[in-house]
Amino acid sequence: MSAGRRTAEERLSRLLVMLPWLMEQGEVPLADVARRFGMSEADVARDLELAAMCGLPPFVDEMIDVFIDDDTVFVGVPRLFTRPLRLTAPEGFALVAAGRAAMQLPGADPDGPLGRGLGKLAAALGDDAVVVDLPIAPGLAATIEQLGDAVTAAARLRIEYWTPSRDETTERTITPRRVFNDRGEWYVVADDGRSGERRTFRVDRIESLDATGEHDTVQAIPAAEPERDWFADAGLRRVTLRLSPAARWVVERYPVDDIVERRGGAVDATFPVASERWLERLLVRLGPEAEVRKPAEWRSLGRDVARRVLARYAETGSGE
Amino acid sequence: MAGADRVERLTNLLALLLETSRPLTLVEIAGELEGQYVGKESTRRAAFERDKAALREIGVPIETTVLSGDQAGVSGYWIDRDRYELTDLHLEADEMRALQVAVAAVRPTQGRQALWKLGLDTIDGDAAGDVAVTATVPELPGLPALRDASARRHTVAFDYRGKRRRLDPYGLLLRTGFWYVVGHDHEHDEARTYRVDRIEGAVEVEEGATFERPADVDLRAAFPSDPKELGPGEAGAVALVRVGARRAAGVERELGAARVLRRHADGAIDVEVPCANVPAFRSWVLGLLDHAEVLEPPEVRAAVVSWLTAMVGG
Repeated sequence: MSAGRRTAEERLSRLLVMLPWLMEQGEVPLADVARRFGMSEADVARDLELAAMCGLPPFVDEMIDVFIDDDTVFVGVPRLFTRPLRLTAPEGFALVAAGRAAMQLPGADPDGPLGRGLGKLAAALGDDAVVVDLPIAPGLAATIEQLGDAVTAAARLRIEYWTPSRDETTERTITPRRVFNDRGEWYVVADDGRSGERRTFRVDRIESLDATGEHDTVQAIPAAEPERDWFADAGLRRVTLRLSPAARWVVERYPVDDIVERRGGAVDATFPVASERWLERLLVRLGPEAEVRKPAEWRSLGRDVARRVLARYAETGSGE
Repeated sequence: MAGADRVERLTNLLALLLETSRPLTLVEIAGELEGQYVGKESTRRAAFERDKAALREIGVPIETTVLSGDQAGVSGYWIDRDRYELTDLHLEADEMRALQVAVAAVRPTQGRQALWKLGLDTIDGDAAGDVAVTATVPELPGLPALRDASARRHTVAFDYRGKRRRLDPYGLLLRTGFWYVVGHDHEHDEARTYRVDRIEGAVEVEEGATFERPADVDLRAAFPSDPKELGPGEAGAVALVRVGARRAAGVERELGAARVLRRHADGAIDVEVPCANVPAFRSWVLGLLDHAEVLEPPEVRAAVVSWLTAMVGG
């Protein structure tokens, strides 16, 4: 990041966390300061030199005694800015929400270090009752734990995986890289032995899981939201549905390309379709609250799937 | 360069307001910071107001008071060091590490800056084992203010579906990807839950209005975690559903083995599913397409059949 693009607020804000830390350390290689605070060495030097100039008369005796010599930052007599600025509301929220979420992850111990740390944080930030609910379905806890262990060990696993778009179960070998919860669902990002690609699997669709005894190299991958990628794919087919007000939740739940307001609170929403089977499931759940406008060949999809499900009820005939 | 001048001026202003033992007027500030607030009164005032706003923006609490005596009516400014400085949390080494891991697992936008203030750094990328299992926590502009207000027990006001609401925020709940604020709604005089992402515009914290939080507030119980349990129907109502062999294993994992009442020779299972909320239940069972069939009770089965019949006929 070049100095030109950093605002005065950003630079001062960074200085106010850098100075107390430097004062505690006494002397630190310039390169370490730059790495820790995500800045170039030139930017660090420039901002520290500026800080050293602060405290004009009559506060001369309270100048911040900071200097850089031989690529090392030295702090002499610390007086001003010895303590960091209090946490802002967004920073406090970030720590609390991250901590509370981590407390819900499998294996977290309420009496452990995180629980104690959050208790101390609450003492400073106020008792706020922030609850993060990450439920694990009763039958998934063991699988999630096994997958987490496999990430740590880069263990290769053999799984049977159900693919809803084809309604088939396939066997594959995967190396889990990260397990994560998003919007209440559990996923595992893994290197897929079959395609050779990194893919995201839904944990509740893993029908069985066995260790192969083989291992790959441990890799830390950044947390992301990879399961959204298939939605973002421009190559996916699009459908336009007319949604009644009762079915408007669809536009909040799925990424939509386009929304056109219609009379009576209805909307025409256009969005990507992962597979025909996915659309079938959506249509049968929406029933009379949704109607396919485009493309023409999907106009009868909802009716066809309803007929198919109904056939199952006709076979047994009980209760009709 | 104007940028450098501004950082220097802001730092000087901050130092001056931290060090002063009494409120300073703009005239006094301009006098102390020689050559930094220049020009005519309105120019100086505008520059000072911009700087004051910038300091507040990064979280500096600037106190203001209207002076009396020979400076009567003039505003004085200072910073209360106790309000400015971070409270020492006295975190142990293992507690610091745990917070670093939590931030690495959730990666909130403000997480790194927050850790810096605690004297810590992020641990991204060097600890796959520690962050094997992570969670996505959505960020929304209203959340920090709502958390802050709930911690300080201040009433908040916001626009929601075109109406102004006043709420005593008891707490925040993240469930299935949505943040909810749970509290006591002033207008309705009852407990209400609002989706934070549907709040329109900013959340206003009413500094003058405080509340007591009832001791028995249970946010998790604000509404059932399973939408199939949430409805006008009888609490605890269940339906019996037959699930074909193909989806049996997945459904059993979702509901737990305790919900399986019968296992058939062909691999199908009969499961008990909450159905107090018939639309939510219907949505769940139809999501299984022709792999599932409602057996009992008759009225729930009839409701699903008539839903499907309407689709076929329409």
